[in-house]
Amino acid sequence: MKTVIRTLAVAAAATTIFTVGALAAEKGKSVGEAGYVWNSGGGEEDEALKLKPNAKAGKDVFEVCSACHQPEGWGLTDGTFPQLAGQHFKVIIKQLADIRAGNRDNPTMYPFALPSQIGGAQAVADVAAYIQTLKMNPENGKGEGNDLELGKKLFAENCAKCHGPNGEGNNEKFFPRIQAQHYAYLMRQYESIKGGKRRNANPDMVKQIQHFTERDTKAVLDYVSRLPAPADKVAPKGWKNPDFQ
Amino acid sequence: MHSSQKFIAAAAAASVVAMLAAAAPALAADGKALFTAKGCVACHGVEGRKPTLPTYPRLAGQNPDYLFQQLSDIKGGNRTNGQTVAVMKPIVSKIADDELRALADYLGSLGPFAVADAKGPDGPGKQLFLTKTCFACHGKEGNKPVLKNYPFTAGQNKAYLLQQMKDIKSGKRTNGAVSAMAPVMHLVPDEDMPAIAEYLSNVK
Repeated sequence: MKTVIRTLAVAAAATTIFTVGALAAEKGKSVGEAGYVWNSGGGEEDEALKLKPNAKAGKDVFEVCSACHQPEGWGLTDGTFPQLAGQHFKVIIKQLADIRAGNRDNPTMYPFALPSQIGGAQAVADVAAYIQTLKMNPENGKGEGNDLELGKKLFAENCAKCHGPNGEGNNEKFFPRIQAQHYAYLMRQYESIKGGKRRNANPDMVKQIQHFTERDTKAVLDYVSRLPAPADKVAPKGWKNPDFQ
Repeated sequence: MHSSQKFIAAAAAASVVAMLAAAAPALAADGKALFTAKGCVACHGVEGRKPTLPTYPRLAGQNPDYLFQQLSDIKGGNRTNGQTVAVMKPIVSKIADDELRALADYLGSLGPFAVADAKGPDGPGKQLFLTKTCFACHGKEGNKPVLKNYPFTAGQNKAYLLQQMKDIKSGKRTNGAVSAMAPVMHLVPDEDMPAIAEYLSNVK
């Protein structure tokens, strides 16, 4: 009698699992959706932030990333892949966690954010730590350079209060370093944020840039691409990462 | 057995049957039989190993999730490049979805697409395959796709590969995981594509 009941219970449980299907990570809300809170944390982001990062282990993880972001972490100057070198630890963790959880849509990047490719929360922390050891590209992709006065003005009035007076960002507040980032990548993310396609965007930023004209956008992002990173964060020209030679 | 025990035993059996039925509808469709019955052999060759034209793709051992996506997309009109509309759509439109799945699973079971240690010739094509970041998603030698819904490309027909690269770059093909590939295709000049296709087709 007891065995029969146990068998029935197992069969019932199995049926439930089959019908519910694979247990997927819960997607968060998107910017613009009621109840969206930017950087609400939780999930793997929190997990990774609590762990002790190991940059040495992160180097092995980074090998996967280097295929596109380059061994130096400089990405491509045409903006296809962003520069990761110099990006803040917490920003990297958050973006990886968001891509992984489906809160930031990036089909090309998606497989490489998965645990099956790079590992769990520890790997996320480790690779973010390794990236901190990389110096930045001294020759990042820039804009046309013909409207920088307007760019400077717009930057000071709109962007500096979050991204810093030199576009250096803020690790504690999860605001990315944008100085010396590739112009074309800045353009793409900016348009994506403005248009609501980037679902993990900061709603204050989305609102603020709505009134920017095309000229404004080009001017300010060109200006940002030319904001130099601190000298001690920048590599010499032609530097190659010895970790991957 | 008491009547209450009989009832419980019957309920347990019914539950197991329901569980099996919910979990495996494709058991009813025979992929191997369908591959012949629906005429696939005529173009893709026996077991999808040796297509009759170089512009048709090899299928044996391809990732089933990838194949199912292609069949569904051709049927549903989301993939319209090459011969997919003129030749394939009329055929797959008459095939039920669970049968398409059975076909995909059958073809996937005929693997490997290329042997595990397959290698292609050194040269410009191989170099391009690395420097243009193709290997990141398709694996070294095009033989280890990073997701189950990405295709093996190692040893695929050269003319077919070339057509897909062109169509993905130009936007003629936009279905499924092409959304992951399309954004990087501007990195590949048109004149470099034949070398890449040549290299991949010779991976064995």
